[in-house]
Amino acid sequence: MDATTVMYIVQGLNGLTYGMILFLVSSGLTLIFGMMGILNIAHASFFMVAAYLCFTVLKLTGNFWLALLIAPVITALLGILCERFMLRKIHVYGDMGELLVTIGISLVIMEGVKAVWGTESHYISVPTILNGFIWISDVKYPVYRLFVIGLALFILVLMGLLLYKTRLGMLMRAAVLDADMVDALGVNVPLLFMFVFGFGTWLAGIAGVVIAPILSIFPGMADQVGLDTFVVVVTGGFGSLTGAFIVSLLLGGLNAFGIQFIPKLAGVLMFSFMALVLAFKPMGLFGERE
Amino acid sequence: MRNRIIRWTAWALLAAVLIAAPQISGRYYINVLVLTGIFALYAASYNLLLGYTGLLSFGHALFFGGGAYATAIALSHVQNLPLLPAVLIGGLAAIIFALITSPLLARVSGTAFVMLTLAFGQLMYVFCLKFRSITGGEDGIGGFPIPSFNIPKIISIDMSDPLHYYYFAMVIIAASLWILWFFTKTPLGSVMTGIRDNPKRVEYLGFKVAHTKAVVFIISGFFAGIAGALYALLQGLVSTDGVLTIYSSFMPIMMIFIGGLNSFFGAVYGSVIFTILDEVITAYTQHVELIIGIIFIMIVMYTPTGFAGLLAYIRRKLRSRYPFLEFLGKTS
Repeated sequence: MDATTVMYIVQGLNGLTYGMILFLVSSGLTLIFGMMGILNIAHASFFMVAAYLCFTVLKLTGNFWLALLIAPVITALLGILCERFMLRKIHVYGDMGELLVTIGISLVIMEGVKAVWGTESHYISVPTILNGFIWISDVKYPVYRLFVIGLALFILVLMGLLLYKTRLGMLMRAAVLDADMVDALGVNVPLLFMFVFGFGTWLAGIAGVVIAPILSIFPGMADQVGLDTFVVVVTGGFGSLTGAFIVSLLLGGLNAFGIQFIPKLAGVLMFSFMALVLAFKPMGLFGERE
Repeated sequence: MRNRIIRWTAWALLAAVLIAAPQISGRYYINVLVLTGIFALYAASYNLLLGYTGLLSFGHALFFGGGAYATAIALSHVQNLPLLPAVLIGGLAAIIFALITSPLLARVSGTAFVMLTLAFGQLMYVFCLKFRSITGGEDGIGGFPIPSFNIPKIISIDMSDPLHYYYFAMVIIAASLWILWFFTKTPLGSVMTGIRDNPKRVEYLGFKVAHTKAVVFIISGFFAGIAGALYALLQGLVSTDGVLTIYSSFMPIMMIFIGGLNSFFGAVYGSVIFTILDEVITAYTQHVELIIGIIFIMIVMYTPTGFAGLLAYIRRKLRSRYPFLEFLGKTS
């Protein structure tokens, strides 16, 4: 294979990795949005908290797998606390209040993280099994990134099973479409909301842990990934998982090849894409309602 | 009649305090005062969107930062640019940005509007970071000359003196605030609140909702741009981190909520309270946003009407107990 083809394959795989991570974060966000009707500005902050928690667990135990297990769960608990004691209280006042509370939460997390872990970047290394490179014919590629793609696919399947094969999943999908109706049918919707919020932050937590070795951990990581996930959720369509998946991969690719070919405008591409979609389809590509 | 006399006395007192303040306070606090005024104007311009038209924007820094950058770029490239045109250029640049974005923004509402404004704000941020030949990238633009206030053959005031700049900025801010306030009292201002409360009905009444939104957007942008221009002249340095980040867009939202959403002067109260909070918290800890974030959450959760709502409540209480205090004004 010549160098150009190799470059295309490597960039394609990089795009796939980032796209998968984006999907993990944005699927949680889009579920929360679809169900509760709020855009959780703090979603990416939970993602960042998970990365920092992973750093701490690694420092204490030295076991990456344990960190992958524990950090997202603690993050989810944090998310559930925020939902139970802040968002639920203000739900009656309408969307604006909830949106503003999530802004406040994101500010608090942003500064709280700096207060606890400092402003400098932290680096963590991947476990030895995943360290190193793999040759796919002529292409040399890090094993860890392939692991990330695999893990994301695994969680995608898991999520599919949960949503489409269980009663809980059925209720979740129903609540995304019409929470009032589900409530009227006698389901404990506040509890369901809490579960979905926890589940969404858990997904963001997984993403935060797996991205930590690739991106390093720093206080600005929430902004960087957070904006990308907003773009995904908004262009994919509010509450649409299919949309989130497709746009995540699209953006991953756009990002990877954008950096390769027009590094100056890579950051602009994404937002232009979103503006273009919203100009013609205000509810996003796969969205059914505003 | 008595009412009016008392009100004018109150305004005169406020003016006297503002005129006297820099004479007593040190150089540092003069700049803090100017900054408070600038943010009051920025927040008040934003409140035209949020409080009056019901449009939540996450990208108002586009206008504030755009105005600041335009003034800074104009001053560093045009020789002997006079002061007032330099300030106006900030506002005009913001108008241009508003004209470019409004065809898209005026058509959408709700979350799509929030996200589109966020997108435009971020686009501006990325542009300013990447095109370093024009904007200086991460370093921003600094070292541009601060022009004097010149009326040929009559007067020339050096604006690099903080005291002189204080008076100049305060006059501009007061005039801008007055125009904004006046605008909310015009028929167009009523259409604006109509759009907030019931856009469909406004449409039925024969008003063009999208056009009105665009006009409000442009006016709001213009004054945010003026505030940005004043900011550039005050700091002598404009950088992406200072004026274009998402935090710069969130700041007026927080100020408005702290001050009170449904009141014109809420934005002004908000910026004053915000600055005081900022100064006090900075004295104790470096994690200012942590405390401000917590206070903000508390305010949104427990006192959704903010400081202006609290004032109205106290007024109501006082008036019902002591009827002779009628001059305290109406308690809407």
